[in-house]
Amino acid sequence: MQYRDYYQTLGVSRTATADEVKKAYRKLARKYHPDVSKEPNAEERFKEVQEAYEVLKDPEKRAAYDQLGANWKQGEQFRPPPDWGSGFEFRGGPGRGPGAAPGGGAFRFEGEPREFSDFFSSLFGGAGSPFADPGRRAGRDHHARIEVELEEAFSGASRMLELKRPKVTAGGQVQLETHTIRVSIPAGVSDGQLIRLAGQGEPAMGGGPAGDLYLEVHVRPNARYQLDGRDVTLTLPVTPWEAALGASVTVATLGGPVELRVPAGSQSGSRLRLRGRGFPGQPAGDQYVVLKVVLPPAATPEARALYERMQRELPFDPRAGLT
Amino acid sequence: MTHAIDVLEACLLGEGDWIAAGTLCRLSELNLEMLIELAELGVVAPRGYRPEEWQLPATSLPRLRTVGRLIHDLGVNVSGAALVLELLETQRRLERRVHALEQHLGGL
Repeated sequence: MQYRDYYQTLGVSRTATADEVKKAYRKLARKYHPDVSKEPNAEERFKEVQEAYEVLKDPEKRAAYDQLGANWKQGEQFRPPPDWGSGFEFRGGPGRGPGAAPGGGAFRFEGEPREFSDFFSSLFGGAGSPFADPGRRAGRDHHARIEVELEEAFSGASRMLELKRPKVTAGGQVQLETHTIRVSIPAGVSDGQLIRLAGQGEPAMGGGPAGDLYLEVHVRPNARYQLDGRDVTLTLPVTPWEAALGASVTVATLGGPVELRVPAGSQSGSRLRLRGRGFPGQPAGDQYVVLKVVLPPAATPEARALYERMQRELPFDPRAGLT
Repeated sequence: MTHAIDVLEACLLGEGDWIAAGTLCRLSELNLEMLIELAELGVVAPRGYRPEEWQLPATSLPRLRTVGRLIHDLGVNVSGAALVLELLETQRRLERRVHALEQHLGGL
């Protein structure tokens, strides 16, 4: 594993006071917090900042970390010393916060305790560590985020989730056991909607029901459709004659192509509704089609002649009201 | 150690589903006093008489989790977090509109 320089992460000196550490954390948290930041890699940077603060804000953890010495460099290969943790009074484990996705992929698991880097876990977390949380509440509900494509949200999908659960071995040690579940995501799930998996949260220690796992669904932005609640909007290019004269055109919907009647006299920006063609539900959403009139280029002598004829024969001034 | 694969059917929670205040507090890392303040500020609309017995729409959870993160990670107070939440939601709505307009205007 690689050494992490927590002082460098927070941009403070090794002699920084608790107040200076806190100020540095607050400043960086504001900059990289995933809820408010537009910085690239904000989530990753925020986790690094949180991990550094988790250690440096705690006098015990900081003292233990400082014992590793000041000669380590960020990213250097590292193994904890054999006598690691001796001489400290230990209390508490990793605190609250977002964790990494176990197994990666398209979802992000947010459980407790938070999952920091291997470096952090080898020093302060994980079973067998002197800093590990000695007692945990039983049967707690857990929460995770899951990302799906818009088409998957419309028609349903399935996802493999890897959940890490503590298990007491015959020798009395607590080990993390990876449990894989396949979740069927129902068709018509909308952005921000919750899915409950009964009994898939934290297992109860010493009897009692296990907690539930709540999955919060996030629908990824789609290049073709914009999703707003259960309604979807699609921009449809049409020719000037289709808009002016009216036409029947084929338009894509999430449920498959349909014929749409473009009324004569439509303009660019005209909004048409396909009732019930949005996301399923009670009631189902609608699909809105926004027309975009696209002009053919005057690239050939014939096309140019047609535009010139329109210029001569169509008395039309779109700027009449502006002068 | 890897365990066997379970296949689970998910239960979709919609606008008509309600979750106990205690469960929402645990999932959002908020305490009941914070939840009461958020209800007073109009961030959530609980049903029930005593706060301990409140139930809230399942759709409240994403908003409450954002509030919880803002409070714990950035050190803002409850009313500050409620204000940030409102501004973030307005920003996202406007970004969606800008995106839709850009898509419409693209190529014109």
